[in-house]
Amino acid sequence: MTAPAAALREPSLARDLIALTKPRIISLLLLTTLAPMFVAGSPSWATILWTGIGGYLMAGGANAVNMYLDRDIDHVMARTRLRPIPSGRMAARAVLAFGIAIATAATWLLGHFVNVLTAALALAGFYFYVFVYTRWLKRTTPQNIVLGGAAGAFPPLVGWAAVTGRVDLASIYLFLIIFYWTPPHFWALALLKQRDYGKAGVPMAPNIWGEHETIDQMLWYTLLLLALSILPVTFGVFGAFYLVSALVLGSILLRGVWIIRSLAAKGESWIPDAWKVYKYSLLYLALLFVAMAVDRHL
Amino acid sequence: MPLPLPVILWLSIALIAVSQVMILRSTVRAMRAAASEQARRGIEWAYAVVPVIVLVLVLVATWDASQAHTTRLELEAKASQTSAP
Repeated sequence: MTAPAAALREPSLARDLIALTKPRIISLLLLTTLAPMFVAGSPSWATILWTGIGGYLMAGGANAVNMYLDRDIDHVMARTRLRPIPSGRMAARAVLAFGIAIATAATWLLGHFVNVLTAALALAGFYFYVFVYTRWLKRTTPQNIVLGGAAGAFPPLVGWAAVTGRVDLASIYLFLIIFYWTPPHFWALALLKQRDYGKAGVPMAPNIWGEHETIDQMLWYTLLLLALSILPVTFGVFGAFYLVSALVLGSILLRGVWIIRSLAAKGESWIPDAWKVYKYSLLYLALLFVAMAVDRHL
Repeated sequence: MPLPLPVILWLSIALIAVSQVMILRSTVRAMRAAASEQARRGIEWAYAVVPVIVLVLVLVATWDASQAHTTRLELEAKASQTSAP
């Protein structure tokens, strides 16, 4: 590695603060915030900018507070042990203060520059993620990410409210699409990380229900998601372009989960296919939301 | 060519209903296999049922919105026929 490249990877406070916000996860949250704005109407550049900044800070604040609350298990799991708190680079209280500070800033920015409903919805997403998912559901039920999926489903409501100032049936559908996308997406990862979750004592579905039942539910959730994703067409929100996109993208996801189920039933290794489904599910959601925005402007 | 909206609506609702029933069946099976205590089972059952209730309400609203949309399309089609030379 060259010296400048090595320097780029050196831990620093700025790098840790950015890491606390989980920027890679937020990029998908931002897409699911901004794309619905173009479905809802024609937002101004200022509205897009402030909603984007506010959305990033609110989700980043929630992620930082989540890292504070999960500090007792993050050092156990390979996936999380390099985070700023378990690696000893940041004090837990500093992380909590940072999370609360940027979430507070986000609430003010959204309320002041966008509208109060947008700020309230973003704050509701923050509270849901921190208190309902992380504090309540995550360590108590194998259905943690089913109900907890609602936390990640707030961004479309935020984007929609930023443009229209209200929440209506179309925006509720965007919420539900993310809600029902979460189980097949997250359980694909949970299947691969069973040992980690087991060590940390997090009751993920594969650890409690077993692989067979989890994969079965992934299949039914994916079928439900596919059917749900085309329903907005029936009341005129989207047209033929979106319909075809949703059917094609959803069918690919369904096929991926079906392959895992078939391999598991035959007792063969499904690990590479679970990775494929996990990665594709990210692409699926991104492309589905892009298709929504494109369809509205055709 | 106009999209077959009623077909899409009822096919989607049927798929959602089947999927949701299978999810609930699988959850019950999983709870029994996990040998959880009675109180815990009640909570797990509630967690599984809450999304179903929300989904039913949304589907009712969708049916209403879909009917209104279809009526609007029919009126527009009639208006364009009568205004045609």
